[in-house]
Amino acid sequence: MKPDTIAQAIRDLVSVYGDGVRTAREGARTLVSLSGVEMPPGCRPQTTPMLLVFDPDQPKPLPYVHPGQLLANGREPRSASTQMVGGESWMQFSFNIPWAEGQSIMRFVAAARQRFAQNE
Amino acid sequence: MSEIELRVPLGVGQALRDVVFRRGRHEYVAIGLVSHARLGDRDVLLLRQLLEFPESAYCPEAGHGAAWSGAALIPAIAAAIDLGLGIVVFHAHPHDGLPALSGDDCGSANRLVPMFRARVPTRPHGSIVLSRTHAAGLVSMPGGDIASTKIGVRWLGASIIDWRTAEARSAVPDPGSFARQLLVVRDDGQRTLANARVGVGGLGGGGSHVAHQLTHLGVGEVILVDADRASPTDRHRLLGITRFDVWFSRRKTAVMRRVVRRIGMGTRCRTIAKRLPEPEALEALKTADVIVGCLDNLHARADLQELSWRFLIPYVDVGVNIRAIDYPEPDGPRVSIGGNVLTLIPGGFCMWCCGFLSKEKLDTELDGPNRNYFENRAGDAQVVSLNGVAASQAVTEVLQLLTGFGGRGLRRADVALAEQSTLQRGFRKLDGVRGTLEEWGGTRRPDCAFCRSTLAAGAVAWASPSS
Repeated sequence: MKPDTIAQAIRDLVSVYGDGVRTAREGARTLVSLSGVEMPPGCRPQTTPMLLVFDPDQPKPLPYVHPGQLLANGREPRSASTQMVGGESWMQFSFNIPWAEGQSIMRFVAAARQRFAQNE
Repeated sequence: MSEIELRVPLGVGQALRDVVFRRGRHEYVAIGLVSHARLGDRDVLLLRQLLEFPESAYCPEAGHGAAWSGAALIPAIAAAIDLGLGIVVFHAHPHDGLPALSGDDCGSANRLVPMFRARVPTRPHGSIVLSRTHAAGLVSMPGGDIASTKIGVRWLGASIIDWRTAEARSAVPDPGSFARQLLVVRDDGQRTLANARVGVGGLGGGGSHVAHQLTHLGVGEVILVDADRASPTDRHRLLGITRFDVWFSRRKTAVMRRVVRRIGMGTRCRTIAKRLPEPEALEALKTADVIVGCLDNLHARADLQELSWRFLIPYVDVGVNIRAIDYPEPDGPRVSIGGNVLTLIPGGFCMWCCGFLSKEKLDTELDGPNRNYFENRAGDAQVVSLNGVAASQAVTEVLQLLTGFGGRGLRRADVALAEQSTLQRGFRKLDGVRGTLEEWGGTRRPDCAFCRSTLAAGAVAWASPSS
């Protein structure tokens, strides 16, 4: 992802999530944390911290949610796994989020939420 | 007065002392670039990089121990901004005991620290003075004011050397019980053990030996991490297990907690029945003085390696591999028995430097895109006595790290395999067929991407995008 794309994505996220957005750099990567993202109906808890990792060498961000996030059926998504990112634990749940550079980052966040709920 | 801990990686400590204790026409300063983390109840500064001024940068100025041109700080400030790190100015007062900052030191810190903080507000900044035995300083934590601070220093070298802020330490419970190990450990070492916290990841064939031995040594607290429950196939190698544990499918952490309590050497036991890198396991292990990994997969080892380097916690890794030989010689061995005991001192070689970890090896361990697709190794062959050989060496490495019975130097030469050798001690290979545990040594690669990105990286420094 180009640096301009990442900067625009952060601006877009701030316009929607306001003070709930935090950023950090980890080497070449930019980490963006959203404090409360609304998950699809039935998910527990209903809102979760979400982490987006922007890597200049990757075509799209990687999404993570807080470990312990459950589906409406009370289980974790089938392919979910806990990973360490920046020394913290995060739950990775999908690589297949339909999105392309140039599209709005909000579309990516929405697709990630939906993908989480489908991953049963 | 607030208290923080400064951690200094292998090799950097001696370099820092060499600069600030240098004798010359003036005092010398070193500029440290630091990250930080909150580990348990402690704020910890992690020294990531050390810079020094050229002699030409110092100005002769009456009334000051050291004065330097403002331009000399520019490279350090640029590097701090680029890397998102805090700036700490170090100098020395060459005496024993707690040093005091002079009026000049305080004035200098009160001028510089706000300027550093304006550039990188998410990291601590300060001025630290070292004596030959203690440290003190003025430090501003993110969001806080400049405060006079007691500094505990943890120097990593052949062993861990702690400069403590207070002498108050727990006494050794029942010291007579340890009388016959005092020749190796000494009284002070036994007190260090009684105040030490050692994390153990994995409580199978290796980890159960390690938990037992740490308890017998008199380690003050063990943090035991394992999500598994006792099963029939554990009975042949898991020390302390009973048939009732298997019947009731008790957690391995519960089995080991009982063992620690029954040995009764005063060791406290904290159990975390979670897998790595679940949050509870990470948070507990971050508070350890040393971590021992007795794990059956490379991904969890990579997690502990990262935890160790990021927060400057020495890590000892144990593993034993037993494989059938496909076409054995008649009357020759039927199996190959290999293993490793790696002693990883932050600042020295890491698992990536020595090729123990690689992206290819991690990918091979998976049958899918992430750790949900592990190739299960739970059925691998294990033998109690072979696990015990490797685990015993790992505990001896912990003993060395905590008490320095085999040497306590901070220089890279102090951990070299031999004089003039570029190989560092700490990579031991087990050959269970021949019955040897041989020191091979490891090499720190200056171009190791993992070391460059992760050593002393600390916690993520989150900031508002507008700041």
